[in-house]
Amino acid sequence: MLTCENISFDIDGQKLFSNINLNLKSQKDLLITGPSGVGKTTLLSILCGIQKPITGKVIYNKIDLYSLTESNVDEFRGKNLGVVFQNFNLINAFTVKQNLEIAANAIGKSSSNLYFELLDRVGLADKSHIKVTNLSIGEKQRLAVARAFVGDPKWVFCDEPTSSLDDKNADIIANLIKDESLRCKASLVLITHDSRIQSLIKFSKILKLGDEL
Amino acid sequence: MIVGITIITVSILVNQVTKETFSKNNPGFDAVVGAKGSPLQLILSSIHHIDIPTGNISYQNARKIIKHPAIKSATPISLGDNFQNFRIVGTNKSFLKLYKANLISGTTWSQPMQAVIGYNVSKITKLKINKFFVGSHGLIDTGDVHAEQPYKVVGVLKKTGTILDNLILTSLDSVWNLHSVTNKDKLEITSLLLKYKNKTSSFSFPRLINKGTNMQAASPSFEISKLLKLTGNAHRIVDYLSILIIILSFLGILFTLLNNINERKYDLAVLRTLGFSRWKLFSIILSEGMIISILGSTIGLIFGYIVYESMYYFSIVARSLELGQLNFLNDLFLIWIIVNIIAFITCLVPCIKVYKQNIRSTLLNS
Repeated sequence: MLTCENISFDIDGQKLFSNINLNLKSQKDLLITGPSGVGKTTLLSILCGIQKPITGKVIYNKIDLYSLTESNVDEFRGKNLGVVFQNFNLINAFTVKQNLEIAANAIGKSSSNLYFELLDRVGLADKSHIKVTNLSIGEKQRLAVARAFVGDPKWVFCDEPTSSLDDKNADIIANLIKDESLRCKASLVLITHDSRIQSLIKFSKILKLGDEL
Repeated sequence: MIVGITIITVSILVNQVTKETFSKNNPGFDAVVGAKGSPLQLILSSIHHIDIPTGNISYQNARKIIKHPAIKSATPISLGDNFQNFRIVGTNKSFLKLYKANLISGTTWSQPMQAVIGYNVSKITKLKINKFFVGSHGLIDTGDVHAEQPYKVVGVLKKTGTILDNLILTSLDSVWNLHSVTNKDKLEITSLLLKYKNKTSSFSFPRLINKGTNMQAASPSFEISKLLKLTGNAHRIVDYLSILIIILSFLGILFTLLNNINERKYDLAVLRTLGFSRWKLFSIILSEGMIISILGSTIGLIFGYIVYESMYYFSIVARSLELGQLNFLNDLFLIWIIVNIIAFITCLVPCIKVYKQNIRSTLLNS
């Protein structure tokens, strides 16, 4: 269960959002939507333990994320959360496989079979030794998705995973995220203002930032 | 860092070994009497067998000194020839007793042209008992040999860790015969190595020799301490230079790490999002810096030792310096520890930068 209590955030004294409360049961999916600049990505960063809120709590199964030390937050994120960033945040100097290996290494997991199975599912099995800089946008997005699922996370966060993709690739990525979430029995929290994705994934909750909750 | 540690290692080794060797080479001689000239040159040539002698003195005059009531023991030495750069020393058997030398094999000389060789001489020249060799004129091998009168090896000495290991000893008669000196009034020696009966003679006796004869008496302890003071200053300059190089290498490590971190700050932030804790990244950066430092300092020590050992083999002067009980290891280990502690502190700067990194702003700015 993911619980948010009275989450508020402001930038240089300007309120971005305040008093966000939500409960997300296991294996349920949440869509966060809203116009640009309302703080969707900031909220996702707060939920992932990357950005501390001004007020409020983020609780994962009774663990208050921001009561942990920063090092423990990092470890908690690695072991329990999978994050697909809007700009992928891949390590460009590494190959496809190395990006998965380093993610597995962060949580003390290591298996060649795991990487190949995962790359096979995302359609990058034949590109495991190619450097990230040589991948197309669609391939980078697929790799970012694959990396998010390396540790079989219980919660997966995706920030605009289809915004820069054409219809065909958007369809592939949306299905991939849906399938991998089901495989890991993970809850999915997805940010998008891409209407295509809402027709591909059925969300149990929708949070509209910038509107009435 | 390697260069700095190498220089400081060589400096320490040479400094320590020089002091140790100077002390071991002198089995308690209070004075050396020889021809007038530089007193330091007399000491270096007669006791440490480094420099060339100041000249010769009359054996007849020397015998008067031997009989002087202030003298407890007087050992004559006569230099002039060498074999493969190892000096041939004409002396009497008391020389061996002074150095508490024992034979590995053979006996001491009983007639002219018999020789007892030091441990290193035997090891390097491969001379053995009953083998013959011919001495060369002078103290450095020039190829100008006494081919008609070879020496016979009759004894090989055990290792003493002193200059004795690098000497070829023979009777005074051998040297005189070889140089065709037959007139007993014209016999000469290089110097007399003296021990006083009473230490108070160390003031009066040299004055007696220096003013009353055409010879000079020099005090080994006084001359060597003067020399060490001079070389000590040179060592200090070398040490300061190597410390400066080491400081520059610390700055090199610091700026390399800071530059690496700056270039990799995005990657480090990504690693944090994947679950690497900031302590883990802290330890990775620290390890990188410490690996450079430990490798650099260790290689520097090894290079320093190799340079020192090379000096031993390629320099005749260095042959008289012998590594003793490895007392220098403590100093070198201390330097190694200090260098790596400073490196550790230096590496903390970039590590703290990584530890304090704000991953969200780094990712946003990238």
